[in-house]
Amino acid sequence: MSHDTTRPAGATDGADPVLSLSGVDSGYGEVQVLDDCSVRLDPGEIVCLVGPNGAGKSTVLKTAFGMLTPWTGTVSYHGRDIGGMAPEEIVREGIGYVPQTDNVFGSLTIDENLRMGGVARDSGLEAVIETLYDRFPIIEEKRSAKAKTLSGGQRQVLAFARALVMEPDVLLIDEPSAGLAPNTADDVFEDVEEVNDMETAILMVEQNVTKGLGISDRGYVLDQGTVRFEGTPEELLNDEEVSQLYLGG
Amino acid sequence: MTVIGYLANGLVFSSIIVLGSIGLSLVYSIADFANFAHGDTMTIGAYTALVTFGVVGGLGGAVLGLPYGFFLALVVGIAAAAVVAVVTERVIYEPLDVDSIGLLITSIGIAFVYRALIQIRFGSDFTRFDIQPLRPIESLVPYGVRVTLHDVAIVASAAVLVVGLHVLLQYTDLGRKMRAMADNPDLARVSGIRTRRVKLWTWVIGAGLAGAGGVFLGLFNQLSPRMGFNLLLVIFAAVILGGIGSVYGAMAGGFLIGMINQLTPFFSDVVEALPIWPGWLASLLESLVSIEYANAIAFVIMVAVLLVRPNGIAGEGAT
Repeated sequence: MSHDTTRPAGATDGADPVLSLSGVDSGYGEVQVLDDCSVRLDPGEIVCLVGPNGAGKSTVLKTAFGMLTPWTGTVSYHGRDIGGMAPEEIVREGIGYVPQTDNVFGSLTIDENLRMGGVARDSGLEAVIETLYDRFPIIEEKRSAKAKTLSGGQRQVLAFARALVMEPDVLLIDEPSAGLAPNTADDVFEDVEEVNDMETAILMVEQNVTKGLGISDRGYVLDQGTVRFEGTPEELLNDEEVSQLYLGG
Repeated sequence: MTVIGYLANGLVFSSIIVLGSIGLSLVYSIADFANFAHGDTMTIGAYTALVTFGVVGGLGGAVLGLPYGFFLALVVGIAAAAVVAVVTERVIYEPLDVDSIGLLITSIGIAFVYRALIQIRFGSDFTRFDIQPLRPIESLVPYGVRVTLHDVAIVASAAVLVVGLHVLLQYTDLGRKMRAMADNPDLARVSGIRTRRVKLWTWVIGAGLAGAGGVFLGLFNQLSPRMGFNLLLVIFAAVILGGIGSVYGAMAGGFLIGMINQLTPFFSDVVEALPIWPGWLASLLESLVSIEYANAIAFVIMVAVLLVRPNGIAGEGAT
């Protein structure tokens, strides 16, 4: 990792971030969503983006992953500008993305889904797939079944596993608990922590603020496309202004 | 002719329709576009094979009543159809920043261009491969089956191509990527699939199979600049009947439509034999269920199937 990179505004500790957005404006077509947005992810961290609907949380992930090109500002990965690079190339750099919906190939088998997750790998595909099956036995039992036959929770596990076949060092996860029953959501959050234990830094968007921040090292509160607050989960959850304005409490 | 006889004819015609349907369905599901130039892509395959056969016709021996040169011409026809489709994709469709309806309209224009070019070079008359027509296979005639060795060659070649496609789709990396893209194009990119490349291969395969279908259509009937376009609506019916976007559905739909088309004379025999009352209804049905309306009958059956299964044979229930 290079040490001569420009430190983004707000960086406090000694580590160089793996991923950072600095002063990013971005949006869909003519519609601007992000406005001077800066977010940083350090190695091994779990960082959670929270905020009201339409605050631009998912847009941060999509811009980081090249599905949207930043209008201004930079997206850097290990200090290298990746803004506007295509998703299929960003995957090869070492970033994975788990969309909120439609995040598995329903008509393909579990095995084929994982193979698709590894199309950009040069070698070691079989071995990494077996490792993932060991880690997530819930999907191994169904490896020859079509993904559309999985339950919501199993589907989410498969979506993670698909993204992990590349062994990314950053994983972007959009609302892992969306549409899941509460206890299934808890399982999924445990899986997120487990993925993090594999030395993958995680930037995630989550509606369930308490649970999302509960497993995170840091959090950002977004509103109207920009970061309003940044801090540890305790700081954010205990801040009166934050909880009144944004956390519904 | 007996029922088996009609079924045998149906099998031959179905083989040609299936080859056309697969490509239309593949390009629809992976490149997200209903290609109206697909029929004329078949015509390109047929005429390229015609020219090639003219050059290499006398080559070597013969299989199933077809000179070796014909098979070489078939391969060149397939290649030409694929190359023309890929060039069109790269030069015309890809640079166009329009939605799928815009592409559809553009492809109608492209269809006219393909056909005009063929007409300029070959005129608008019918022509045929310079291959001796065969008599029906003697041993099958007592069963009312009048097929030639050429027909057998058409069915066998189509079967080889369809099985080859199945193996490609199910067991190769490219095939899995194609299925992944048809399933969820966004997730395909997110997974790292270089979708542009897969799309080009889809054109190669889809147009190549169409080219083969065109060559066989030329062998089965004859060649004319309108041959492919005339078949296009029937192929669309097959693809929709099968469940648009499903390759296996397209195969099933192509098979059924081809069968129905060739079974029409049998249907009219049945209508004649039925004690339909009153008499005017009987004569009305008799005149409607006749060979001139073979395509219309195929469409009526398509509509009937879609009323029961709105997403086609391979579609998933009603949505």
